[in-house]
Amino acid sequence: MMKDKVIVSSIQRFSLHDGPGIRTTIFFKGCNLKCPWCSNPENINFNIQEYFDGNERKYYGYEISLSDLEKEILKDKIYYENGGGVTFSGGDGLLPFKKIEPLLQKLQKEKINICVETSLVVSDELVNIAIKYVDTFIVDLKIIDEKNAYKINTNVSLYKKNIEKLFSNNCNVIFRIPLVPDYTYTVDNVSKILNFLKKYKPQLVQIFKLHRLGEKKYESLNMKMPEFKEITLEEINKLKEKIEILGIKVEYCQI
Amino acid sequence: MLKKIKKIIKKCIGKQNIFCMIRIKYICDKTYNNHKFINILKTIQKTKFYSNSKNKTGFSKLVKNIKIKDLKENENFYYNIDMFSVLVTPNEVMGNFCIDYSLFIENSLEELKNKISSKNNDFYMEELELINGIEIYLDRIIEKLKISKKYDVITNLENIKNCKAQSYTDALQRILFFNMLLWQTNHRLNGLGRLDKILIDYYDYDIKNGLLTKEKAKELLKEFLIILHRDFKIKSNVLLGDTGQIIEVGGIDINNNYLCNDLTYLFIELMEELKLPDPKVLVRASKYMPKELISESLKCILTGIGCPIFANDDVIIDKLINFGYDKEAAYNYGTSACWEPYIIGMSSAQNNIGSLNFMQPFIDLLENEDLSKFNNLDDLIDKYQTYLKKFVENLVLKINEITFEKDSLLSLCIANCVKDGKDISLGGAKYNNFGLTGVGLANVVNSMINIDEFIFKKNIMSFEKFNDIRKENFKNNDELLKKLKSNGLRYGEDNDMVVSLANKIICYTSKILENKRNSLNGKFKFGVSSPNYISDSKNFPASFDGRKIGEPFSVHISTDKSNGYTELVNFASRIDYNFNRFNGNVVDFFVTPNFIKDNFDKFIDFLIASIKVGFFEMQMNVVSSKKLIEARKNPDKFPNLVVRVWGFSAYFKDLPDEYKDYLIERALKNEGAI
Ligand code: SF4
Repeated sequence: MMKDKVIVSSIQRFSLHDGPGIRTTIFFKGCNLKCPWCSNPENINFNIQEYFDGNERKYYGYEISLSDLEKEILKDKIYYENGGGVTFSGGDGLLPFKKIEPLLQKLQKEKINICVETSLVVSDELVNIAIKYVDTFIVDLKIIDEKNAYKINTNVSLYKKNIEKLFSNNCNVIFRIPLVPDYTYTVDNVSKILNFLKKYKPQLVQIFKLHRLGEKKYESLNMKMPEFKEITLEEINKLKEKIEILGIKVEYCQI
Repeated sequence: MLKKIKKIIKKCIGKQNIFCMIRIKYICDKTYNNHKFINILKTIQKTKFYSNSKNKTGFSKLVKNIKIKDLKENENFYYNIDMFSVLVTPNEVMGNFCIDYSLFIENSLEELKNKISSKNNDFYMEELELINGIEIYLDRIIEKLKISKKYDVITNLENIKNCKAQSYTDALQRILFFNMLLWQTNHRLNGLGRLDKILIDYYDYDIKNGLLTKEKAKELLKEFLIILHRDFKIKSNVLLGDTGQIIEVGGIDINNNYLCNDLTYLFIELMEELKLPDPKVLVRASKYMPKELISESLKCILTGIGCPIFANDDVIIDKLINFGYDKEAAYNYGTSACWEPYIIGMSSAQNNIGSLNFMQPFIDLLENEDLSKFNNLDDLIDKYQTYLKKFVENLVLKINEITFEKDSLLSLCIANCVKDGKDISLGGAKYNNFGLTGVGLANVVNSMINIDEFIFKKNIMSFEKFNDIRKENFKNNDELLKKLKSNGLRYGEDNDMVVSLANKIICYTSKILENKRNSLNGKFKFGVSSPNYISDSKNFPASFDGRKIGEPFSVHISTDKSNGYTELVNFASRIDYNFNRFNGNVVDFFVTPNFIKDNFDKFIDFLIASIKVGFFEMQMNVVSSKKLIEARKNPDKFPNLVVRVWGFSAYFKDLPDEYKDYLIERALKNEGAI
């Protein structure tokens, strides 16, 4: 691949759920984790992947140059005026940051608000770059209990170290918590999450339960989306209250 | 033929749609003996017909005999269309306009008469006879109302004769009275104009002097709107609800001050409250408009009634001025029928006098040319232009054959007929530019993109073979059809190639029309949104965009993509509406109610930005596919479900099935479900 090209799976304009205002969300391919409930399974692998839609051969992911990506992002500049901008997502939106740094510089110059959706299980170098450009970090808060980390292939100490760094640099952070029984939603993990939130007091926490909208994509990749226990609305509300008591704003996102 | 006509008439009478009968008469007059036809009608229905005789106009006879109704105790206005009294008008009556009601609010009939009586020729004699007739009509109404002692209404009706309007209620009554006259005399698609602007002085004065409370003003306006809605079935043009009763509110003035007052909000509030499909409100949008007005408009849109629609002053006014309208008139623009900009009170513009079906010349090309000759898109476009030229020229010839009915009433309403002593049907209006409505442009653009991609670039088969498959309606070629439908680039995307292709066709059309003149010596204008996306596509051959035989054309400026709103608006703002290309260009999309509810503030941001980006006009259907599908199955459960159809809203249950199905298909596409 050319040096100034990245692989994206899609670019979603008029995106209203990935940060403040009206945004353009860029979905990069590639993620370091492996959450079994992932709703974008096509974005976990770092490479372009072939699949079949009926008899038709199609691909997840395509190469795009940084300048074309910039053009795409700037197309909706006027719509970003009230706090909107671009959100880098994925996969993990932060992973290509070293490569896209020239683009980030340009966007910053154009005063485009930048958000990133990330697992934050990434290298120190990437976090350092991100801190320079990102206006809001939308960070997953999943399993933070060392002994269960293997279930999603995460690295809790690296994650915690990176979080510490963001907060010590006064970055805006929104936490996103997927509520998955037996994984993120266990008595132990929830109490750890609450302690964690108490410590950092992020500006916003978004909680959501799983959906199976990605199921077709699993099938197209010859994978099967596992079954999960469902969390009840009552449990969701209880958890919401517990976070609110800490003085933190919580949103329950229904997809 | 006779049997067929009888059948249609019977059907119409079933709906008590006498105006529909009149339209059939227009059609039949060309081929049929007028008197014989009237006899048929007479025997079927006790309708009274009034036609001109040697010494009397039909109108003077009509006003002496027309049925006057009494008012109920709680009614504050007189308005009654007598559908069994019909004026015989053998030629096409000009419709599709918007008179300036302030003419009648600011002037009494006496004053109008004074302007005329000093002059002496046939035109003025007829105008005088008309006004005398109107006075007779008023006197008859007044006599009737004396019995029920409706003295307030009587005073307002007396005032019409003697002085300018004296109050807010008086002004509303005048609008209703003259509107009723226009409908009664076979004028279709009656726009109402900028009523917040026209009425505000009367409203302010009455409120300030304690003659009116805001609550009472609202009550009266509500009654006014309900009255206008009441006869929507007989007022409808092609489909039920298609009445052309549009009220424009808001708008910038010549100094870029945004006009917005209590009445602007009141109209929107009442639309939201009444949830009627008709009349409807159009908000003249601008970057200078208050956010609150956008927010109130969006709340109204959220009810799903498809109203208000937005017309973008920041784009439209310049185009009108460049085309040749006076600056002041351009700033005071309204719309006729659906959304075609119209110079209020000054124009004989027949804004949808012809359907400019962009697909027709394309099919002609495919039928007549040796397709093996083509090996690149530019050659194809060049050839298309030749066919387009022929098509447009023929259309113009046909339009110029139309003879319009002499029309004293409309001549009284529209400047400069009275000033110059010339009837509107002969070109007496200040502006006489006719409008065409374009349909199928998206289908042509998408067809060309597909031909370029699959034939010229990928060479998957010969052009002739491709055409054979198309002619056979893609029979046994489902895979290919799917590809044609889902090819990456489509009309509605802000992609350079798509935009330039669309603009090339539009600009060329513009050039063809530039030097053409209509029968009243005015120019032609056109737009790319049209009511004819279903009617013109019936039995129409399949096309390379993946449209099968008879399937509808694309709607206005729209996209197949879900949530592609910014992309669509950007595309629309890059279409070149200059010169004669401003005859209605509406962006049209579906949104689910929950999508707006969940993102209300962001949606307002989107609208504000879209106005700045520069759409021409915008309308939306706020409804979920689920609701439409349920309503299709159980119409009785959803008697009040209103949807936006083209330039009007209608009860979903009243629509023909093909419209219902197409709305469902578009809703599903928007939701990404198909
Ligand atoms: S971190 Fe996100 S993208 Fe990566 S596997 Fe987990 S859910 Fe999927």
